[in-house]
Amino acid sequence: MGYLFISPWLIGFFIFTLFPIIASFVLAFTRYDILSPPRWIGIDNWLRLLEDNRYHNSLRATFYYVFTAVPLRLIFALLVAMLLKPSTRLASIYRGIYYLPSLIGGSVAIAVVWRQVFGLEGLINFILGTIGLKGTNWLGNPNTAIWTLIILAVWQFGSPMLIFLAGLKQIPESLYEAASIDGASGWSQFVKITLPMLSPVILFNLIMQIINGFMVFTQAYIITSGGPLDTTLFYSLYVYQKAFQSFEMGYASAMAWVLLMIIAFFTVLAFKTSRFWVYYESEEVR
Amino acid sequence: MKKFGSVLLVVLMCLSLVSSITLAQEKIPLRVAWWGSQDRHNRTLKVIEMFEKKYPNIKIYPEYTAWNDYWTKLNTQAAGKNLPDVIQHDYAYLSEWATRGLLLPLDDFIAKGVINLSNVAENQISPGRVGGKVYAINLGTNSQAILYDPEIFKKTGVPFPKVGWTWNDFREAAVKIKTKLGIYGAEAITYADAQAFKVWLMSHGTWLYADDGKSVGYKDDKLFSDWFNMLLDLQAKGAIPNIEVEVARGTLGVEDMFIVTQKSAMGHLWSNQIVAVSRAAKERTLRMALVPKAPIPNAKPANYLKASQFFSISSQSKYPKEAAMFIDFFTNSIDANKVLFAERGVPISSKIQKALLPLLGPAQREMFNFISLVEKNSLPIPPPDPPGASDVIKNVWNPMVEQIMYGKITPDKAAIEFREKVNKILQQR
Repeated sequence: MGYLFISPWLIGFFIFTLFPIIASFVLAFTRYDILSPPRWIGIDNWLRLLEDNRYHNSLRATFYYVFTAVPLRLIFALLVAMLLKPSTRLASIYRGIYYLPSLIGGSVAIAVVWRQVFGLEGLINFILGTIGLKGTNWLGNPNTAIWTLIILAVWQFGSPMLIFLAGLKQIPESLYEAASIDGASGWSQFVKITLPMLSPVILFNLIMQIINGFMVFTQAYIITSGGPLDTTLFYSLYVYQKAFQSFEMGYASAMAWVLLMIIAFFTVLAFKTSRFWVYYESEEVR
Repeated sequence: MKKFGSVLLVVLMCLSLVSSITLAQEKIPLRVAWWGSQDRHNRTLKVIEMFEKKYPNIKIYPEYTAWNDYWTKLNTQAAGKNLPDVIQHDYAYLSEWATRGLLLPLDDFIAKGVINLSNVAENQISPGRVGGKVYAINLGTNSQAILYDPEIFKKTGVPFPKVGWTWNDFREAAVKIKTKLGIYGAEAITYADAQAFKVWLMSHGTWLYADDGKSVGYKDDKLFSDWFNMLLDLQAKGAIPNIEVEVARGTLGVEDMFIVTQKSAMGHLWSNQIVAVSRAAKERTLRMALVPKAPIPNAKPANYLKASQFFSISSQSKYPKEAAMFIDFFTNSIDANKVLFAERGVPISSKIQKALLPLLGPAQREMFNFISLVEKNSLPIPPPDPPGASDVIKNVWNPMVEQIMYGKITPDKAAIEFREKVNKILQQR
């Protein structure tokens, strides 16, 4: 009877999650163009990954993005969370306002707006123009294109910010009071109290953001479509292009599985190293 | 009384159920899919309304997107056995779809007159034939063109393109316009899925793909490097949009071409697109010239006639006859064609052509004249691109164009690399 009640979830899981996962793993060993049945080709798809230049470009772009956008976003989120921590009457309004970009940031509409903002005759170049600077072609220049996406990502700091905020509120005020009496500066309070006490939350945010970062798709798909010179050809975008534009489902499946392994690797890495830098209060008991 | 009430309720429920079923049965659902610009969407939707008014028992569910997303959607629908009944099709994919059994042969409908082709010349039917059977009905005749703005040409004193003009003339005109007015001489030459490069090769008497589709067709890599040296020269002189501008603009509809906003004097497109571009340009006079020939003695024509697009019927369709009726309406209804107004190219029915002739606006008249000009100056249509061609364009050509135009690789080196990579892809298929 119990199974009956959870059956909506079970059915959803089996049909829409488990089955596609297994199917994609099998397809990764085939050549499958959707229109004709899959053909077994062994590990050819996996070997092809080694010599596919565009695949390597996509790896480079994705890593660049993850290792810049994720730290920047976390730092920014923490900064704003610190500012919003004091409970004044306006704080809840500010929190709402600062969370807003995250609600809309992942949407297609914002991506389209972003295109305009960074366009040749967009807002940014207009502002630069009014103060006498000459703008550049942000989306067409291989050095700047990826940064328009990183800035968009950093701007969506809302959900890590909220989690940081909750974490900050958990730190006992008495610690700061004691530190102030001992004459500790604001900076050393931050380094010696806030960061260690917050480190479990930082770990959580870090892992969530790494996973999100590797799967970035919409923004690049709409704003840059991978160009120029493949500098914003993110992993998921290339998988999509291979699967749904070139109709190489087998090859795309193989790529997707490699992405899973990459994400798994970095998640495990974050966990394994966490014992060196994450501080749990319960450890004191030991 | 209570019992009577509940019986009544049950009866009423049954009745409403039955009536809703019959209502649903009354209207035959027909899904129609096409790609195109906003102008085409508006025109087609209006014709669908007219069709529904004429056949009140049919309800049409339109599915329309831009070219890029169209095939993604359609292929996925094919895999899910959920294809629309009427499918707008393209020469590039028609034979593949027909041989895979995804499309319905239309010969029966043509023989029975459901699709009336009595006013259509044989050479307008044959593009839709695969293996002796008609799988698709041509919606209009098309050819590649250089679109130009005669006002700008007059202003700068550059002579209008003549029949037989070459890429050297093209280059000269573009540079002169740039230096005199500071606007682009031409646009849409660089990328365009290698369309411009292909007709460049054609005029040299060769083609991008070999006849067997297993390798690059042209022998001399100089053809490749010459082409890009010309583009690099034009780019350096500012006569075509810089690659950074092209990339930042992304893939745009005809509505967003620079020629619409008078920032460019020439553009490269398919002749039917003049209707949509002119509309976007507020019906300013635009004219079309043949694609330039190769700058060599005895250059061959660079134009060929093509069916701009087809309508075909899915082999999974439950209502093929109604689908055929819709195609017939599109092909033969004068009222419908007054709305469509040759936006998909010159209509194939001579009756429709005659009916439209006195009504034509400047853009349509230009297109009709252009097509008859091409008829005298063209080669037969090249074979459809081999399997793997879309991989070639997306994963070799487009990235290579960027590398060359950004100056990351010289055309000479790129020519060798291009040949190697393309051959590899084609041989794998």
